[in-house]
Amino acid sequence: MRIPILQKAFAKAPSARAAGQKRALRIGIPRVLNQWSTHRFWTTLFVELGIGRRDIVYSSETSEAQQLKFGKGRGAVDCCYPVKCMIGHYGELLDGLKRPIDILFSPIILTVPSFLCGNVRENMACPRVIAGPESTRAGFQREKDTFAEKGVTYVSPSVSLAEPALAARQLFNAFKGILDGLTPAEMQRAVDRAYGALHEFDSEMRDQSLEVLTSCASGNRPCILALGRPYHMDSGIGHAIENELQAFGYPILWGQYLPLHPEVLDWLYKDLIRAGRIRNPFDISDIWKTSHSANTNELLWAARYGSLMPWITCCIRFSSYECGMDQPTYSPVQAIAESLGTLFFVFQDLDETKPAGSVRIRVETIAYYLERKSPKIMQGKLAAFQDAPPGILLQNVPDTGTASQDPLPEPVQTGSLEIADTTNRQHPGAGS
Amino acid sequence: MKYAGIDIGSTTVKGVVVQDGHVIWKAYGRHKTKQAEKTLELLTRMEDEAGLTAGRDVATFTGSGAGTLAARVNGRTIQEVVAVAAAVEAVHPDVHFVSEIGGEDMKTLFFTPTPAGKAKQVYMQSACSGGTGTFIEKSARKLEIPPDALATLPYFDQTLHRISAKCGIFAETDANSLVKAGVPKEEIIASLFDAVVRQNLATLTKGNTPMPSVLLLGGPNMFFHGLRQAWEHHLGALWDERNITLPAQTLVSDVILVPDDALYYASLGCVQIARREDGKPQVYSGPDNLKWWVETGQHEEKANTGQTGLASKDELAGFLRTYAVPSAAAPGQGTHDRLFVGCDFGSTTVKAIAIDGDAAIRASVYQPSRGNPIEDAKLIFRQLREAGVGGVGALGLTGYGKDLLKDILGADVPVVETVAHASAALHVDPDADAICDVGGTDVKIMLLRQQAVVDFRLNSQCSSGNGAFLQGVAERYDIALEDYADKAFGATRMPRLMMGCGVFLQSDIVNQQRKGWSAEEIMASLAAVLPLNVWVYAGQFQNLKSVGRKFILQGGTHRNLAVVKAQIDFIKDKIPDAEIIVHPHAGEAGALGAALLAAEHGKHNGASRFVGFDRIDDLDYVSTTNAKTTCHWCAMHCSRAFIDVQVPGGKGRPKSKVPLSEGWQRVITGNSCSKGLIEDAAEMKERKKQIDEDLNAHPNIAESVRQGAFR
Repeated sequence: MRIPILQKAFAKAPSARAAGQKRALRIGIPRVLNQWSTHRFWTTLFVELGIGRRDIVYSSETSEAQQLKFGKGRGAVDCCYPVKCMIGHYGELLDGLKRPIDILFSPIILTVPSFLCGNVRENMACPRVIAGPESTRAGFQREKDTFAEKGVTYVSPSVSLAEPALAARQLFNAFKGILDGLTPAEMQRAVDRAYGALHEFDSEMRDQSLEVLTSCASGNRPCILALGRPYHMDSGIGHAIENELQAFGYPILWGQYLPLHPEVLDWLYKDLIRAGRIRNPFDISDIWKTSHSANTNELLWAARYGSLMPWITCCIRFSSYECGMDQPTYSPVQAIAESLGTLFFVFQDLDETKPAGSVRIRVETIAYYLERKSPKIMQGKLAAFQDAPPGILLQNVPDTGTASQDPLPEPVQTGSLEIADTTNRQHPGAGS
Repeated sequence: MKYAGIDIGSTTVKGVVVQDGHVIWKAYGRHKTKQAEKTLELLTRMEDEAGLTAGRDVATFTGSGAGTLAARVNGRTIQEVVAVAAAVEAVHPDVHFVSEIGGEDMKTLFFTPTPAGKAKQVYMQSACSGGTGTFIEKSARKLEIPPDALATLPYFDQTLHRISAKCGIFAETDANSLVKAGVPKEEIIASLFDAVVRQNLATLTKGNTPMPSVLLLGGPNMFFHGLRQAWEHHLGALWDERNITLPAQTLVSDVILVPDDALYYASLGCVQIARREDGKPQVYSGPDNLKWWVETGQHEEKANTGQTGLASKDELAGFLRTYAVPSAAAPGQGTHDRLFVGCDFGSTTVKAIAIDGDAAIRASVYQPSRGNPIEDAKLIFRQLREAGVGGVGALGLTGYGKDLLKDILGADVPVVETVAHASAALHVDPDADAICDVGGTDVKIMLLRQQAVVDFRLNSQCSSGNGAFLQGVAERYDIALEDYADKAFGATRMPRLMMGCGVFLQSDIVNQQRKGWSAEEIMASLAAVLPLNVWVYAGQFQNLKSVGRKFILQGGTHRNLAVVKAQIDFIKDKIPDAEIIVHPHAGEAGALGAALLAAEHGKHNGASRFVGFDRIDDLDYVSTTNAKTTCHWCAMHCSRAFIDVQVPGGKGRPKSKVPLSEGWQRVITGNSCSKGLIEDAAEMKERKKQIDEDLNAHPNIAESVRQGAFR
């Protein structure tokens, strides 16, 4: 069956702004780490500051070829592969572009915007990720100043992106000597628009996810939730493993872009709120006490979302080699995801090489059990709800002519679930 | 006065004796973990052959084993890198970069001229086997290349294949798949040399540019002609790229020096440093204390550390009564007409089992894989027929070959390994909670609930805890794998090895050897640490109780009773009431599982799709591996083999670069991902539409992000 989503038709890319000073500069941004969740912010920011859209260049997705060609001999001392790869991205921006750049912009993102802001202790980026730009820069300046040699200005301000007012000040200070005639007001306006554009993009992705879920709900069919850090969407870091499951016929949702539509959240979290476990749908204090890291917080939150949503019958977890941030989350994420019978699989220790053989076996095993167990899992998870799914999950399925018309099974009020303990919707890590 | 310099390394001991600035004696030898003994032997020879005299001369030591031994003959210890640097500075004032590759370590030294004299920058890597001599030798042994041939194999003018330079263990896997794809040995070795140099440049330059002139030291650089050529290639390219020009009329090979005594630089450096010493020299005290250490001291010391052996005599007797493997009952005689066959086409072996309707095993055959699935299939089915399998009621396939062969053999049940293993385990005990399958190159832990695999941990990336690792260590001691358990049970005490990465484990073993632990004791401790590696390190099970209480041990490694004993001790320590069963067909569980699933299928369905023994035996095929079959989908450039099989109704591939006429079917092997099953861009174009449609039908939000976020 076909889920009718035009993947390319979403939030418009930023284009030239209406008014203001044009600035003839070419800027290169490495497509790394938390760029994977803040992309549109930066593009829009620079467009709003008068730089032509075509003069804002991102390095390509991480690839072995890129690392070999542009990262050679500048090895960073870092076991974190996503950080290590920054060298290749810098190298590509300095040596691999037809039209050279004037500025290499590599922000040190201290805090990350998150929909969980306000419900968690902090929204910090990983310390290793924060240090990434500095350790990478060193590789290009140790022997001789490669930036100077290429006539490139290296701009790498610390930015507290989860705090908009502070971020605007930090960015103004970083660019005031570089962009002629830049005023605080101009930067403030650009930053405001940049947040707006990022929000618009995120919402668009969430709408796409909702379409997937709606289609699954209407067809009583399963989908998969991918749990990882934003950079796992980089096909050189996450190795696009989820595509192989997609090829077995399962749509893939990502924890970063789950639907936040109030009707859906109300339905999913009502029982937990009523039971006094959480204050609101974004509250994770019962399952993750040390909520300091933005990415980790969202990971835990998404695991619970996946555990509740009936048509998510499987969570797959991505984690990079020796990730210190992920280490303490392995067990809680698994326990939460599995708590209502959802299948849970991990692709751990992702690194430079894609472990193709074991990925294949894992994917086939997942597919084997997804096929056999999904119907029961969906039924069991649905039965755990007191009321029927909200209309938003059941309507608005454009008739493509091929969509299955299978009726949704009646929610079973007293249904017992063989797969896991669902009778008392108990989440591990919460009660005890 | 004479000066002796002795370098006690991870695999060899090297020594020189210098008199009046001239080397009058030098020798080296492999110590096979007996560092103290070999050092004593070398010192004795120095006394006899070079006149080294106690109370007059000076002996100075370096190398990983120097620490505990030097003081026993009143020798000073010099850090290895310092020693090498001293020798280089004395002999080669123009050298700016040194690479020393040793048995289990590698070092780089940068000498940069500054106004205040020469600045030295030193990097060393000894925790990882990637890029070291052992790594090359191990691979060559596997390829059955004799050492003298290895020395002369070239690097230039060879087709290079991608071998992971990062870790010796990954590299081995890559080399294995190249062998399977039929890549000539010479090309694999050239690729290994390439990987070693890339690894050295990637991890041990840390942002410095190796400037000419360059000095290459250590055994591998000295012995392997091809390795030197690889350096030449990579340094030449690097210098080009960084605009470093050589003086006119100078070739790259002119500024890469490999001295005749490249092995002895650390030893020579010791002498250099000792000779520079002012004041009263630290005089060699003779070998007596070292002799005492070799004969008595090391044993006394190690008795204070370590732990008791795997089992006491009484305990062992009880254990063997329960777990000693009875010789498998001989399959019944005669021919059987309707048997259910399961084949496991693994990466290293092919196994097949035939069972009757009551799940009784009627035939069990196996053979090492030759890397050509068609040839493997022919042999295994010939063996099955000889073992009395007359007719096939249903055929189950598992292992990597299942997708390649399912149509050619006519399989009824092609099933992924995990599911096959689960089926075999559940046959032994339907209430099993967990299967621990430790094979030659991978570790699989499968968790069962409701008689199905609900989760599994697969570890084929890390050698820690797998059978090949045990075998590798046993091989190093020249002990056959079958004798492993006997030897290990013989140890009354054993060292404590650290759990963790196989590569670190390797250095820990070297460390324990240095303390004087014997082969038997180390093998016992390696078996003892295996469960930790399997469950905690590889499997990430911090809380074993959560797994359940009934464990089935499968996989060839569990034929090793020392491992079984360690597993039982480990599991029972965490779960006192655990029940641990060694699968009676531990080594063939995959094939048995496939056979059981085939039987189940056969009971519910009619005729089998099996094409018949004669058809398989008559399979005609042509295998092609050349530039046209190389996969170009990614930077891996897998060297594939196109195995073309004659089958009725085969559609052929007229448009291929290696055209195939009708009546033939192509099996592609040697690829490392599913993309490689597609020949080339032309075939991709045809298939792409279909793939896009498939993927579009089932959206992936990450794809939207990849396509749209950076626009």
